[in-house]
Amino acid sequence: MVQKPLRKTLSILMAGALTLSLAACGSGAKSDSGTDSSNASSGGDKASDKKVTITFQNIYPDPTTPTYKTLHTLVEEYEKANPNIHIELDTLNTDQQKMKLKTQAASKEVPDITIVNPSAQMKPFVDAKLLAPLNDVIDKNGLKDTYQAGLLDNYSFDGNVYALPDGNNIEVVYYNKDLFKQAGIEKVPTTFDEFLADVKALKAKGITPLAIGEKDSWTGSFLFMNMLLRTNGGPGFLKDVVDGKKKFDDPAFIEAVDRFQDLVQAGAFPDGATSIDANAGGNIFKSGKAAMWVIGTWETGAIDASSVAGKVGAFQFPTINGKGNLNDFMLAPGSGFAISANSEHLQETKDFLNYFTLNFPKKQFENKNAVGLGQKVEGDLKSGGYSDLAIEVAGLFNNIKGGDLAFDNTMNPATAQVHLSSIQNLFVQKTDSKQVAEEHQAAFEANK
Amino acid sequence: MNVLKVPGRTIAVFVLPCLLLYVCLVFVPILVSFYTGLLSWDGIASAKFIGLDNFKNMFYHDPVFWPSVRRTLVYAVASMLEIPLCLLMAILLNRYVRRANSLVSIYFTPVILSVVIIGQLWKTIYNPTSMGGMLNGVLISLGLPSWAHNWLTEPNIAMFCLYFVSLWQYFGYHLLIQFTGIQNLPSEIYEAAKIDGADGFKADRYITLPLIVPIFKISVVLAFIGSLQAFDLVMVMTGGGPAHATDVISTHMYNSSFLSMKYGYGSAIATFLVIVCLIFTVIINLIFSRIEKKVG
Repeated sequence: MVQKPLRKTLSILMAGALTLSLAACGSGAKSDSGTDSSNASSGGDKASDKKVTITFQNIYPDPTTPTYKTLHTLVEEYEKANPNIHIELDTLNTDQQKMKLKTQAASKEVPDITIVNPSAQMKPFVDAKLLAPLNDVIDKNGLKDTYQAGLLDNYSFDGNVYALPDGNNIEVVYYNKDLFKQAGIEKVPTTFDEFLADVKALKAKGITPLAIGEKDSWTGSFLFMNMLLRTNGGPGFLKDVVDGKKKFDDPAFIEAVDRFQDLVQAGAFPDGATSIDANAGGNIFKSGKAAMWVIGTWETGAIDASSVAGKVGAFQFPTINGKGNLNDFMLAPGSGFAISANSEHLQETKDFLNYFTLNFPKKQFENKNAVGLGQKVEGDLKSGGYSDLAIEVAGLFNNIKGGDLAFDNTMNPATAQVHLSSIQNLFVQKTDSKQVAEEHQAAFEANK
Repeated sequence: MNVLKVPGRTIAVFVLPCLLLYVCLVFVPILVSFYTGLLSWDGIASAKFIGLDNFKNMFYHDPVFWPSVRRTLVYAVASMLEIPLCLLMAILLNRYVRRANSLVSIYFTPVILSVVIIGQLWKTIYNPTSMGGMLNGVLISLGLPSWAHNWLTEPNIAMFCLYFVSLWQYFGYHLLIQFTGIQNLPSEIYEAAKIDGADGFKADRYITLPLIVPIFKISVVLAFIGSLQAFDLVMVMTGGGPAHATDVISTHMYNSSFLSMKYGYGSAIATFLVIVCLIFTVIINLIFSRIEKKVG
């Protein structure tokens, strides 16, 4: 007798709970868009005392790195000087940020400031008109002249600059002097034959010659591109391919693949290299287990902070068969700060970015991270307390004659992916170099 | 038909919320992704309608697609073949172990663990000798150094190493399903059978097996669909590498959409996956309804 009313109340309650939870979902979505539109209205009128929140998506999550400190001090200083501005940091690691930005771009919700990569990688965003031109930003306070000559070209399309780089690095060969001594190597190699002989000598001593983390396939490609830069006798191979002047079955490309396979066959890389990620790969060198590491100069600070600090030197990638120039480098213009074209507070964001990029190099210098800066900075490394390695690497920068960008900064993403897995394949099985070239050419033509 | 004796309106109130959610979260996205599969789109810029070109490319020109389909199907078949083993184990546990529950719980632990943890765990087991891989360590200490391999980086064996981890992880899951199924069978039947002289394996053959068929079917469907969608474990352990040697349909889809920035093409692969899942679910259901009719 009690049962019937009970069941009825229960069912009403349940239905109520369901509708409530549904309503909650609905209102959640609504309140989100609500704040958006209120932001829009507050950004519309430019009263300087209006509260403004700028979202700053960035890729510096590690509190132990100098760039993290630089970022946080600059943001704090700016917020103190401009109390009406709040900078909200959306901090992610590199791969997550790439993914998140792509998803945001698909729904046209790019954060006020975000990070893009140079040339081919940022082109889709520019083409989709998601990024704001920054010409007025670099013209203000002489910001433009702080950048190294030609660097901004990597971020410019049709005469407009769309991003401001956080650095400019080159690829060098770091080597562990102690391990070289153990293997009886007197001087650093300048030709590929010497390089290969050193690899074999190290291997014979049971030392891993080259550290790499090829699960992240860009690492192998970055190394391979050095060899292509040499066999091609200079920079520009990929550009010639894009322009239709060369094809991948060019002898230069085939020779680069052959020489790369020589390294693999000589056992230059750690066992199971393709299952090691980039960080772990670097740690093989930084823990003193591998003799060499071919990587960008952005690692200089990290090497100085590791257990092999003080034992490490750097040299240029050797010439191959007399081809190439030691002073051509693989260039790695840094990730760039870009502003969303649809930003609700475009002017405030531009003002902040101008302040940020003007002071970025100074703070980086103070935080011992001046090697690989894309901007000129006053100050002397030696008296700034920098390590011998940092000074040696900075010296290499002075030699730069020219160079190439990484494969994925030159070619479209689909071709780049085929390239990356094709190089990864060389680590695990011997392949006919002609076939590698054909694979590249086919992918290039299919994705033109 | 209306066994619940409640008015249709009440049923609607209870069913609608779920139905709406289901339609919005499942059916609409499937249709949208089918449509995206007809586009040439990098996910950012404006899209171009290209009809069935993505599907043509997929079936005729993509060197990665068919091998990854093959690997996915092998994976699915392997995980279905595991289920009779689970059933056998469940029967044995039920018969010979007095407090089997704790054992079953232990078998179940890998299922509770996150796939990422499982992946990292097995990566350290499979690691090459120079990085302290446990499996190689054991093989070498057993005096079998020639059996040591770079398990995850040799293209010929890497995929099998992944199959094994997945089978290992889900063994406990299917065991639990079968075990609970057997425990729920009424004991009177067994007692009656015992009087008639059917005991032990004879009872299993004529009572357990026929009665467990519906449960068995659930396990098979779950295993099959689950392995068609396998993604996380592959992503954590190899990322589809070395050089696509361990790519399955879903990782190929992910790589195409997000790394090669061919969002439309990725959606075409997703559509293919959905259709394959549907077809096989129907086939499995047909087979089992036949079996059920036979034993019934």
